[in-house]
This record gives sequence, C-alpha cells and structure tokens, in this order.
Amino acid sequence: MTTTTQFKVLEQNHPRVDAYEKVTGRATYASDVYLPGMLACKLLPSTRNHARIVSIDTSAAAALPGVRCVITGTDFPDIRFGSGALRDRYVMPREVVNFVGEPVAAVAADDEATAQEAIDLIKVEYEDIPSVVNPLAAMGEGAASVHPDLESYEGYGFTLGHNVSTLLDADRGDVEQAFRDADVVVEDVYRSQGINQGFLEPMACVADVEPSGRLVIYASTQGPYQIRAGLAAVLEIPVSRIRVVPMELGGGFGAKLRLAFEAFPALLAMRTGRPVKLVNTREEVFTMNGPRLPVTNYIRSGVMNDGTIVAREAYTIFDVGAYLGAGPNSGIGHGIGAYRIPNFRLRSYGVYTNKIYVGSYRASGVADMTFAVESHMDHIAHQIGMDAYDLRLHNALREGDVSVSGAVVPSNGLIETLEAIKEKIDWPRQLEDGHGLGLALCEWRSGSGPSTAAISVNDDGTVSLLTGSTDISGSDTSLAAIAAEALGIPMGSVVVAKRDTDMAPYTGQSGGSRVVYSQGTAVQRAAEETVQKLIALAAERLGVPEDALGCEDGRVYVMDNEPQGLTFAQLAAASITSRGGPIIGTASLSSMPYTPVFAAQAAEVKVDRGTGQVKVLRYIQAQDVGVAINPMAVEGQLDGGVVQGIGRALTEDQQFDPDTGAVRNPSFASYLMPLAIDLPESEVVLIKVPAEDGPFGARAVAEPPGFGPPAAIANAVYDAVGVRVKQLPLSGERVLAALNGDYDDIPFDVEALRLAEGII
Amino acid sequence: MKQPLTLNINGESRLLLVEPFYSLLDCLRDDASLTGSKKGCDEGDCGACTVLMDGKPVTSCLVLAHSAHGSEITTIEGLADVDGLSPVQRAFVEHGGLQCGFCIPGLIMSATGFLQDNPDPTEEDVRFAIGGNLCRCTGYSRVIDAIMAAAAEMRASA
Repeated sequence: MTTTTQFKVLEQNHPRVDAYEKVTGRATYASDVYLPGMLACKLLPSTRNHARIVSIDTSAAAALPGVRCVITGTDFPDIRFGSGALRDRYVMPREVVNFVGEPVAAVAADDEATAQEAIDLIKVEYEDIPSVVNPLAAMGEGAASVHPDLESYEGYGFTLGHNVSTLLDADRGDVEQAFRDADVVVEDVYRSQGINQGFLEPMACVADVEPSGRLVIYASTQGPYQIRAGLAAVLEIPVSRIRVVPMELGGGFGAKLRLAFEAFPALLAMRTGRPVKLVNTREEVFTMNGPRLPVTNYIRSGVMNDGTIVAREAYTIFDVGAYLGAGPNSGIGHGIGAYRIPNFRLRSYGVYTNKIYVGSYRASGVADMTFAVESHMDHIAHQIGMDAYDLRLHNALREGDVSVSGAVVPSNGLIETLEAIKEKIDWPRQLEDGHGLGLALCEWRSGSGPSTAAISVNDDGTVSLLTGSTDISGSDTSLAAIAAEALGIPMGSVVVAKRDTDMAPYTGQSGGSRVVYSQGTAVQRAAEETVQKLIALAAERLGVPEDALGCEDGRVYVMDNEPQGLTFAQLAAASITSRGGPIIGTASLSSMPYTPVFAAQAAEVKVDRGTGQVKVLRYIQAQDVGVAINPMAVEGQLDGGVVQGIGRALTEDQQFDPDTGAVRNPSFASYLMPLAIDLPESEVVLIKVPAEDGPFGARAVAEPPGFGPPAAIANAVYDAVGVRVKQLPLSGERVLAALNGDYDDIPFDVEALRLAEGII
Repeated sequence: MKQPLTLNINGESRLLLVEPFYSLLDCLRDDASLTGSKKGCDEGDCGACTVLMDGKPVTSCLVLAHSAHGSEITTIEGLADVDGLSPVQRAFVEHGGLQCGFCIPGLIMSATGFLQDNPDPTEEDVRFAIGGNLCRCTGYSRVIDAIMAAAAEMRASA
C-alpha cells in the first residue's frame, strides 16, 4: 500500500539545510568555540571502583603557575540528582567513588597542558569498600551493596531485590495455565554486550559567565533544556540564570540527552569569572560517560503445534553500573516483540554494579530485547519444524490487536515489511555450505513528549521557523519540509532559526524518534494556524469571505477569480504596518497517540569454518515509514542504523575488568565499529502505510534499523553452519568455539526470581 | 615554549608560534584558527582530522606540527573558493553523504586526496580509500555514492 496524496515538498529529496556549513568545515561544534581569555578544564578520574575518599590534596595543583581554580565534589552543593525520578548520584562524588573513571576533581588552567599537569599533581587517598561487578552476582543477598543507603534516596520506589535500582513489570492473562496448555515450551538465555554509542564528536562544552552573572553554556547536546534543568539542580541556581546554546551536534545517539560534565566548567567559570572549555579525550568518552551495559535475557514461550505462541515469560537483567544514568528498562514492553501473545509475564531489573553508569543509546535496551526475542523465534521455529518466516507471519500483530501498553494497534505496514524482505532476499532458499539466511522483525513506537513550534511570516514572503529541538539526524531539514508543505511554499522559503534556551520555546529532548513525529506535528499545526491567519487578513483586505479563498504557492487568492489575490509578502507587510506586528502561527502539544513502527530485516552471511569469521554478504531492511518526509534523510537513517546494528552483531564489545569493572578497551582501535570496507551495499525498502497521527502520516524512523542485525545475523549463522550463538558479539572466536562444540549455555536462576516475587 | 613555524596553509604562507609538542591538528585549530579539521580521537583511529600534506591525506593528529615545517597543507576550509564548492563537497551535499557532519571534513579530505591519484575508481577502491575514516551516522553508503559521483563529474570536466 502506498500513499496517494500528492505532495509538493515531501516525498522528494532535499539536501540538508546545514549541508553547506558542514561540507565547508564551517559548522560550529562546541569544541570549535574559542572565547577570549578562555581557560582549559581537565578532570581527574577515580582509580578505584568502590572506595571512600579519605582526602584529596589539591595544594600542589593549585600552586602550579597557570592554574586558576581546582574543584572537588565538596565545592558543589550537597545535592543528589538523577536521570529520572531516582536521585542516586552527585555530579562529583563527595565521599564515595563508585566506578573507575568517575571524575573526582577538575582543574581550570591557562591551557590544556598546564591543566593536565595540575591534574597529575592532585593526591587522593582512598579507602577501598567491597565492590561488585557482575550484575547477577550483585543480586545475591551476600553481595556488596553499591548504594548501601539506596532506600533513603529521593525517588526510590522499588524494594524487590538486592542492588536493584528499578523493577518494571507487565502482565496479561493466565500465564501458568497457558504454559500448561502449550504443546511445546521453548526456553533460552541470551546475553548482549556493553555498547558504546560511538559518536564521533567527544563530549564538549564551554561555560561562560555574563557580566550580569548569568551562566552561558555552549553545549554538545540533544537536550538543552535538560542540561539547563540539571545544572540548575546541581548548582542550586534558578533555570532563568542559565542560558544553554546548543551547538552543532556531532552525534549523540542518546549519550547527550542529559546533563553530563557541563557542571564542571560551569562552576569553574563561576569561580574564575572566565570562560572555561572542557573537551573530553576519546579515552574519557569511553571511561567517564555512560555506555550501554551488558544485558542478560531469560525468555520462555509456550507454543501450539500450529505455531501459535500462547504464552511468554521474560526476565531481563539490565546492568546499570554505578548510577541509573538512563532508564534501564525501556526494553520491558519489547519482550513479546511484534507479536500477538495473549498471556505474558515480563520483568525487567536494573541492577547496580561498580562500573561506569549506564547511558542511553538509540532506544536503550530494545536492541538487546530484539536479539533475544528474534533469536528465540528461530529457536521456536526449529523446535516445531516450522519455517521461520511463516512463524513470524502467523504471530505478527495485526491492526486492532492490543499492544503491551494496552493501546490498540492502529493500521500499519508490518505485514508488508515482511513480504518485502521475503521477496527481496528470495526466502526460503538453499545455499552452499557455510552460507545462510536469517530474519528479524523489529518494532518500536513513534516518540512523544512536549513539542512547540512558532512560524513567523517575513515581509519577503519567506517564513522563519522556531522550535526548541536540537537538530538530530537532519530533523531541521525535515521540520522545514513539513512547514513548507503545510504552507504551500518551497523549502528554500523556510528559514530554520538558530536557537537557545532563552528564545526558543521549551521542548523535549531530541531523541527516541520523537522530533519529526511530535515536533513535526507541532510544526504542521503551527503552519496551519499561520495559513488561517493569512487567509483571515486576505479576506479582510480583499473584501471576500474566508471560505472563498485558497492558499497555494505563497499566495492567498480568490478561488473563483485566481488572478485576484495577495502574496505572503504583501500580507506580511500589511500585517506589520496595519496590524501592529507580523503574522505568527504557533502550536504546542504535550503528547501524541501510540503510533507503532515496524521493520523486517534479512541477512545473508558467509561463515568461515576455519576461523569462525562471519561476513555479511547482503543486508536488507524494509521499514514502514508512513510517509517519507525527505526520502534521502530517511534512507540515510536506515543505512546508518543498520550499520550500527551490524557492529553490535559482529565486532563491538565494550569490555570490563571482571574485578575492578574498569573499561578495558577505551579507544577506537580496541572498540571496533564498522568501517566502509566491512560492509555490504545498503538495500532499503520503504513501506508507506500512512500513520493515523503524525505529520502528513509520517512515522518515526531512526530507532528500529539498529535492532535487527544481531538476531538476523545470528539466525543466518545458524542457517549457515548449524550453531546457535546466544551471546554477542558473534566474534570469530565465539563462533569458532561454537563450531568446535565448546559453548556453554548462559547460567540463569529464574527460579530464584520467581520465588522472590512469590510466583511459585 | 612556543616556537616559530612556517606552513603554507590553503595557499597562504603562515608564520605561527606553536608549542613544540603540538600536533598539526592542534596547531591548525588553536594557532591558525582553522577549526574545520576535527579531533575525534587524537589517536589516529577516526580520520576526522584528515588534511592534505603536500597533496597526500594524513591524520593531522599524528603529525607533529614542527615536523610539517615548510609543508603545503590543505584543510577543508581550503577546498571551496568564491565560485563555490569543490566537486567532492558538492557531491556530499547532493547525495546526502552527511548527517551529524563531524567526520565529514576528514572524509572529504580523504576522498579529495584519493581522487587526485585515482580518477576512475571502483566502489571497492573507494571503500578502501575511506577505510581509515570512521562515520557513525551514515553507514557510509551515501558517502560512497557521493565520492563515486564526484569522480564521474571530475572526469567529465577534466
């Protein structure tokens, strides 16, 4: 099914509105900000993963010529903050460090070299406390407590389990009965690895203090308002005393949604009265800023002989590290995948350990869940002797089904995505030995949250578009296209305003597939209001009723007499001179209805039986995008997402020392992201079943592409060589071990968890 | 202590005062105010700092600034002239070969240097030519399309 609407702007390729700046090197990222008198900031990382800070001697550092200020945790107000309701961390530890790499002091000096020299002069005396690194061990009653006083923290609301930060659950139906009724029960445990977001621009920030005392933060961020709120909380100053200027964002993928290290240069700038710049080294990005941490998934299904899945139980253990740096549990609802399963019990534990805190990354947790669910689907298919495609088709969610959250599934293109990849990869097909095919089905929802847009008509007939959203993956261009389409003007007539938290209206973060869907809806509505105002003014000027007027090509005209009309330029000028101001349309919304996004993916791989190396020969994705606002940008998102997923499947592996929890591979030379030479050509199919909500029927795009590759590739490896690898990544070493029969199932004591909950 | 250093940057002879331990990248960014070259890792792994040194692509973070004394350096700022973008830059714009853009100066410099010596590359050649440039957003496919298109355009106008 394709859309029949004729668009003038949408569904056509548009170069990004920021393309010229980016290809000429003139786009300004936070690290490109150089201010007069600017100082450089460096940080001192903790060398212990759980220790009391007995003393910090900064005297030698402070005495070094060129050093302007040294701060430690006690220079900040005694206030905990958090990524959500639970406030479990200090911006800089006051008494206890919880992971190796945690910043315990910061220096501002005339230049980076001096700042680093000063850092090396700071002496910290630690007294070690028992620590725990493995999350499954951490849940045991005898394990060391990462946060002994957790229950006294503001926002703590979960009491089930030792070192458990959060426990989420979702239940439906009679799970036990459904398992008893099932013909076959299939049970698996999967484990996925730590993943770094891998953005190319290190965390960076410049803090300055205006003569009035207001703080100005030039930030690399997806959430300028969230940085403002975070800084206000940890510095104990009102948000109105802070202005955050989001600079060009050099990749974030979730890592830059919230307050990170901005408070350090901010306090140093307040203390010295001079601008202070902090740019993390790549090693600091790997060791100080939260990545995704390993996830263990227990999954069990009750299945009838005809392939109908009647019951699902899933227990997911998210390692959250030292602090709940991101919602750990967004995978919870994804334990049933894109399927109609009438009875389920889903549990998702966030477990503290003494390693770097967990961060967000492109639909945090869902890729881990998808690896488990979609590998498990193939396992079910093999157990009951059913084709893996047919099993997915048989159980796939249909319009009118009820999603995990209870929302009714609206019309969507899930089945079409499955059919598209089946045709494109020619499934099923016998391949030569060592070659195999694998499938994965991905599901997500379009992101919601506060969104506001304002459109002002300029007296040359163009419009200025103002939103608070940081550009992410070309969203400025997409928002401009939505405005242009709704106003009936060319893309080139929309100026996207540069903005900061002083002048742009409040908005949610740029992340979670919400900008184009939610902010785009606000833009569409603001444009519609603008058109209404243009028509109202034209009706008054032309002396005709409003319903006699049409609006097209930057002009309001009399429908019965098209030559009679007024251009946007004329109307804008008239409004400014006679109405006391420009024509401005605005719109706001707080949330959007449930709009699912589905994608089907297929991999063709070759496995080298001698080395275990897996090569991806083809990778096909079909995704229901609703309407392609800017097809070039949509395909770019799908290309990039799948490549991140291929990295997750094959090479990327953030490793932690089993004793200290320290990151063992803090560089791009040891954390292996895909390069151009590693990849097959991109093969993308856009399915377009317009969403019932969303701008012009568009759905969110960015998250699902990265979900499928680990399972699709693992399933293809099974098809190729008959071994099922249940741990990521599918490294040559791991696949070879499996080929040699040297592969252990992952231990998981599900009985203990059921028992703790009183289920058995 | 800072030492004098002469570089020809983007066709202009520059006399700079540069710390002896500075990399060419730090020198370009801090001392020559050319911030188009990006510091993604400072370890030679990501390629975002790639510039042309005497016509060859180098990762400028691994070149000691003073060892480049007297060299001709071309940075991303030196590609476009008053008539507009270079063919490689234009192709990246038209083919959507960029997203966040942080890796793009390095990719464009790698491609520019490569195409000077290899005007008629295969797609496989291009994949190897940018094999030292990490990009996390695009998945490379539109980057490769852009470089192939730029090569074709440069051949047509040669």
